[in-house]
Amino acid sequence: MRISRRDFLKAAAAAAASGKMAPAALAGLRDTLLESNGPRVIWLQGQGCDGCTVSLLNTIHYASFDELLLNTIELDFHNTVMASAGDLAVSAAEAASVVPGYVLVIEGAIPTGAEGRYCRLWPGMSMYDGVMSFAENAGFIMAVGACATFGGCTAAAPNPTNAKGVGEVLGSDPRLINVPGCPCHPDWIVGTVAYLLTNGHVPPLDEHRRPLQFFGKQIHHNCFKRGLVCGETVFATKLGEEGCMERLGCKGKHTHADCYVRKWNSSGPGEYGVNWCIESQSPCLGCVEPSYPDGMSPFFVELPPPVQES
Amino acid sequence: MPTTIKLDPVTRIEGHLEIEVTVDTVKGEQQVIDAKSSGTMFRGFEIILQGRDPRDAAMLSQRICGVCPVSHAMASCRNLDDAFGVTVPENGRLMRNLVLGANFVQSHILHFYHLTALDYIDTTGILDIAPWAPRYVTPDMVGGTLAQTLVGHYVAALEMRRKTHQMGALFGGKLPCVSSFVAGGCTEVVSAEKIASFRSLLDEARAFVDNVYVPDVLAVAGLFPEYYEIGTGCGNLLAYGAFDLDASGNNKLFAPGRYTDGTTGQMNLAEINEHVKYSWYTEATGTLNPADGVTDPDPDKPSAYSWCKAPRYGDQVHELGPLARMWINGDYTNGISVLDRLAARALETKVIADAMDGWLDELEVGASGYAEPSLPQTATGVGLTEAPRGALGHWMEITDGTISRYQVVTPTAWNTSPRDDLDQLGPTEAALIGTPVADLEQPIEVLRVVHSFDPCLACGVHLARPDDRARGTKVLIQPGIA
Repeated sequence: MRISRRDFLKAAAAAAASGKMAPAALAGLRDTLLESNGPRVIWLQGQGCDGCTVSLLNTIHYASFDELLLNTIELDFHNTVMASAGDLAVSAAEAASVVPGYVLVIEGAIPTGAEGRYCRLWPGMSMYDGVMSFAENAGFIMAVGACATFGGCTAAAPNPTNAKGVGEVLGSDPRLINVPGCPCHPDWIVGTVAYLLTNGHVPPLDEHRRPLQFFGKQIHHNCFKRGLVCGETVFATKLGEEGCMERLGCKGKHTHADCYVRKWNSSGPGEYGVNWCIESQSPCLGCVEPSYPDGMSPFFVELPPPVQES
Repeated sequence: MPTTIKLDPVTRIEGHLEIEVTVDTVKGEQQVIDAKSSGTMFRGFEIILQGRDPRDAAMLSQRICGVCPVSHAMASCRNLDDAFGVTVPENGRLMRNLVLGANFVQSHILHFYHLTALDYIDTTGILDIAPWAPRYVTPDMVGGTLAQTLVGHYVAALEMRRKTHQMGALFGGKLPCVSSFVAGGCTEVVSAEKIASFRSLLDEARAFVDNVYVPDVLAVAGLFPEYYEIGTGCGNLLAYGAFDLDASGNNKLFAPGRYTDGTTGQMNLAEINEHVKYSWYTEATGTLNPADGVTDPDPDKPSAYSWCKAPRYGDQVHELGPLARMWINGDYTNGISVLDRLAARALETKVIADAMDGWLDELEVGASGYAEPSLPQTATGVGLTEAPRGALGHWMEITDGTISRYQVVTPTAWNTSPRDDLDQLGPTEAALIGTPVADLEQPIEVLRVVHSFDPCLACGVHLARPDDRARGTKVLIQPGIA
């Protein structure tokens, strides 16, 4: 069942052919992936739900999860996946963190209330201390999902644990890449890792440190529901109807992500997904934006138009 | 001499769990004589939901758990349907069932292959890299050809569980976390193409369950027969039931009910209460029914050792999960143990996947699955369903058009609960008592018992313990292998 690097490169080539990865980038990716030692990844889970991990398990567009683990990365610590437990697991994380240059992935928010004791990774190590300590030797830091990036649902009012995203805890850090979403799309995670492997530096980012490759365009402007009938936008009057759901609370005008083309739950290498929130006739929640969820809710009530449209 | 072992973090579960066991030699066998389970993460979703638009509960509460978001969405929508007094159209009922079913199949496959199988097989020489190394290696683990086969199936199961999520997304919008589940039904539109795509993926999943998953579980069970006697636990079972088979809701694929002191009985919600004697909550909030539930932490409470409350039925400890559902349905009554939990989970997967094929036939192309509800200013609601790991309930009060109370009682709250007001151990704690531990540095037997419950701590824990306890002698496990 072992999948070769060659198969992974075929998938990457398919992605490049469909314009999702520049050919020059692919050449670099090929070299990187053919090295015998993949980059080491330490994945810490704070105040979250494992939804971003489960979403990553659905990866197939760029590579499958087993391809990633067998051929691309060395996943030294991940609570949900790793075989070891207890101190043996902790020792694996500690050993990996001694050698600088790994990718530190943070999933879930970081509680700063009660001296960080609302979330503990293992005895004597709060999530807050874990982020600070494992960030030290990290080459890159990826905050994955709404909670890790901007606080998400965990930091929603009244934010009982004073939870924060990674950027707020670490402060300005050139190594940080925010890959939001509730959950995060697997392609956003894998595509960002692929960029790092290929280029050795953080990808072009927007003002919220999100990769422009995935979060550069507004959903509403690109939505298939615009101009449905003779170029005129028809507005849905209730959920389940075909028309634009702006008046039913859809946050597509306030949201920057490529869901409108990438969609969710891809069926195979190079394939886009089979469905997404708006195609299921339900409003976009704006889950990739820093103001999610408080600034995006009530979810079924129309917001005033954004001040600045991209 | 008794030795205390702290296993923290417990891995290959959802969330943050610490298990502490005391091991001693009894009648010549080294075994667990005391056990405590404790979650170590708190967010406070119930507090966050207060004051919000009730309709948002279906979207926000499913973010409690990324492994069973569909169950939370289902419980929350049923809660809202109840409070709003809306009747869900047939297509809505069926689509909800199909998406929930897809996530059950996904979760059960994930549990066996990716969360628990590594407790039973020695992958040395097959998977010698991270995240599969370092690892415990014990003499009773299966090696050789069967280990190779199971590792192959581990990889195949990754693909199968991904496809079951793809299947669920056809009617759910996306997975994990569904977009189409709302108060009043399901917003997705049924087309012949979607039905055909769903059925094609379902056929693959059913073949995998029949030909790979169920045989693999039985093969492992055949090699570890002692685990039919290990992890027996409290012996009481409880289910709310799930998968409505008609609009009335009275007829379900899995019936509600309980099995208490060896006798089956009806399940009456009024009998449920949450004890807090050993939980960091004020005594005044103890033994409340979830409909009146209050979360009022007391971090200095001297008797407490967990931030999990202890839900009980009629003040008695009950275990929840696939075994409880299958037992109450009369579909599996072999016994209550580690292996019975794994076997019932696998067989339940088949029951659900087979039923889904029939639900696809019942869908009506083009008919709406959504009835628009009107929003009451004042109302109460209850939403019951099942998560892959057991019965799940959401309770709500609406005042002035917004949520004034929201309570969630999850299966993991029951299964990993601490002792209660009557000093009865929680189900996982009880199941650990008597578990043999051959090697104090590699307590694989403890992991097998804990994993058999498929715990999900993001669901189970409402608050975290604020302090590390210093209690007794701690022998922290040192790596036995590199």
